[in-house]
Amino acid sequence: MKDPLIVLDQVQKYYDDYHALRGISCEIGKGEFFSLLGPSGCGKTTLLRTIAGFEDVSSGRVLIGGRDMADVPANLRPTNMVFQSYAIFPHLDVAGNVGFGLRKRGDLSADQKKAKVIEALEMVGLAGYGKRPAHALSGGQRQRVALARALVLEPEVLLLDEPLSALDKKMREQMQTELRRLQRHVGITFILVTHDQEEALIMSDRIAVMFEGEIAQLAAPQTLYRRPASRKVAEFIGVMNFLSATSTVSGDTVALDIAGLGKVTLSAEQCPGGAPSGAAVAGLRPETLSVVIDDASATPSHSVTGKVVEVVYYGDMTYYEVALDGAQKPVTISMKNLPGRRVLEIGDTAKVAWDPSALVIFAA
Amino acid sequence: MKQGTGLRIYAVAYLIFLYLPVALLPIFAFNDGTVIAFPLQGFTTKWFVELLSIEALHGAVRNSLFVAITTAILSTIFGIFAARASSRYRFPLKGGILGLIMVPLVLPEIIVGVALLVMVVSLMGLSLSLWTVVLGHTLICTPFAVAILSASFNGLDRSLEEAAIDLGETAMGAFFKVTLPLVTPGIVSALLISFTISLDEFIIAFFLTGSEPTLPVYLWGQLRFPQRIPVVMALGTILVILSLVLLTVAEFFRRRGVRRTGAKDTGGFL
Ligand SMILES: Nc1ncnc2c1ncn2[C@@H]1O[C@H](COP(=O)(O)OP(=O)(O)OP(=O)(O)O)[C@@H](O)[C@H]1O
Ligand SMILES: [Mg+2]
Repeated sequence: MKDPLIVLDQVQKYYDDYHALRGISCEIGKGEFFSLLGPSGCGKTTLLRTIAGFEDVSSGRVLIGGRDMADVPANLRPTNMVFQSYAIFPHLDVAGNVGFGLRKRGDLSADQKKAKVIEALEMVGLAGYGKRPAHALSGGQRQRVALARALVLEPEVLLLDEPLSALDKKMREQMQTELRRLQRHVGITFILVTHDQEEALIMSDRIAVMFEGEIAQLAAPQTLYRRPASRKVAEFIGVMNFLSATSTVSGDTVALDIAGLGKVTLSAEQCPGGAPSGAAVAGLRPETLSVVIDDASATPSHSVTGKVVEVVYYGDMTYYEVALDGAQKPVTISMKNLPGRRVLEIGDTAKVAWDPSALVIFAA
Repeated sequence: MKQGTGLRIYAVAYLIFLYLPVALLPIFAFNDGTVIAFPLQGFTTKWFVELLSIEALHGAVRNSLFVAITTAILSTIFGIFAARASSRYRFPLKGGILGLIMVPLVLPEIIVGVALLVMVVSLMGLSLSLWTVVLGHTLICTPFAVAILSASFNGLDRSLEEAAIDLGETAMGAFFKVTLPLVTPGIVSALLISFTISLDEFIIAFFLTGSEPTLPVYLWGQLRFPQRIPVVMALGTILVILSLVLLTVAEFFRRRGVRRTGAKDTGGFL
């Protein structure tokens, strides 16, 4: 990356004996929306707090704007944070909260500060709420106040620790798009911590998937979804069918014999974790498989037959579990419910079409 | 018979036993007679008027106020340190240290009094004064202050201070601008409780006063003179009312603090 804003270089963190961060290295660009995604306890918050300066690193370096942050305390770092609990000051009103960080700014007159607070509140959709006491705010409003309070200081980096987890589903979805729009508008680097894979996919430019203190994969959402580097990443992000296979590598191609699908030859690119030799696992997302329903005489380039063992109807979609001839486990297939398209029933025989380019191959 | 009648009778009997003696104070304080006995002799306020004319009593009141105010301030300051440390930090022997702070709560006061007397006079060679009383009272009031303030500090979201630091404050600034305003109700409550305890305390004060008695010590001295007893009753009435008012105000502040930090009320001393 050219001119990264943040550089993490072999960051390690121990809490007493517990190894919370195990050598995190990555670069985050200016104006990037970067997400840290991982299961509970994998060290996301710890990493974020390390960048904010609330935790010292045990070894390794954190650089922001080319400057080593080792001796820079949290209050002097060019970062601001939106806390998971929002940490709205209960004894101040909304304007007092948003203006808190401006109080020390000697270069601004009282009027300028007031104007900045009003502008920040407008930006988060809380215009006119300045006099509201903190305890009279809803969850979504608290979240916006926390956001305005951080953004009003125009930090180089905004750190967000699961800022949407306390909101209900509808509010969360609304804030996801709003947050993304806001980030594009202000052009500040956002680092978002989340354990919600959908949220990370929707909002981020790039996502670092973390497991147990390590980055398992760092990639753009589409790459992460289509070409997960390991089975673990694939399972964490979305749903994937796994079929056992045997693989023979020759040069840039991999010849596979997949249980239930048959023989196919792929390019080594479809093995993001490296081409395995011998026992392998072939992964397929449910939406890359389809049940041929309307036109039984259609002949897709790759198809197999199986038996429907489960049907789950979602309104817009139908999820089928189909036991393919020759596979040990049924595969999940998602189908759009187009007008006039029939929904199969349990016990029906199904013709399943698949696309070799959608396959991802992992070592077994 | 309705369920729980037995328990209700017990509760009423218990309350009567507890408060009847206190209720007798104002009755005899307004009784026109030097003998503390029924039947009552008629209504008078002369014992209260007489209070105004006793010079030694005024001195005792001044001494007690000095001791109680100083004790309240010292105990609360120590309480703030201990409560903040216990709510924020992990350190070796934390449980043991906090336990030791709380021990004077359950030690018999007479033991504390004698021990302090021996230490101050024999070992340190100091002479007794109001300051030695302050020392003893601070020892027994600090646990109360710690208990009240711990509730205030524990009720605070610890990310509040971090948020203030994140927004540019130093650790000190964050404490004064965020934490302190939020625990102020707890501080007021701790000040009032310590003040009340010190004002009423007799045993330790009895051991540690020099030539200047505190109010309870002075009162005890007056009990030797039967003709003084109605005046003591009048003074006792005033003290009881004052204590009740102070404790009520303290509880009001404690509850307000709990509400302000949005924490759950886990019960105070009242
Ligand atoms: N102050 C601390 N002392 C000791 N261990 C800690 C401390 N803070 C975090 N940990 C441990 O470090 C690990 C990572 O914690 P962290 O809070 O970073 O997880 P997380 O990925 O943010 O999880 P979550 O999604 O649940 O918030 C956890 O196992 C946690 O128990
Ligand atoms: Mg976390």
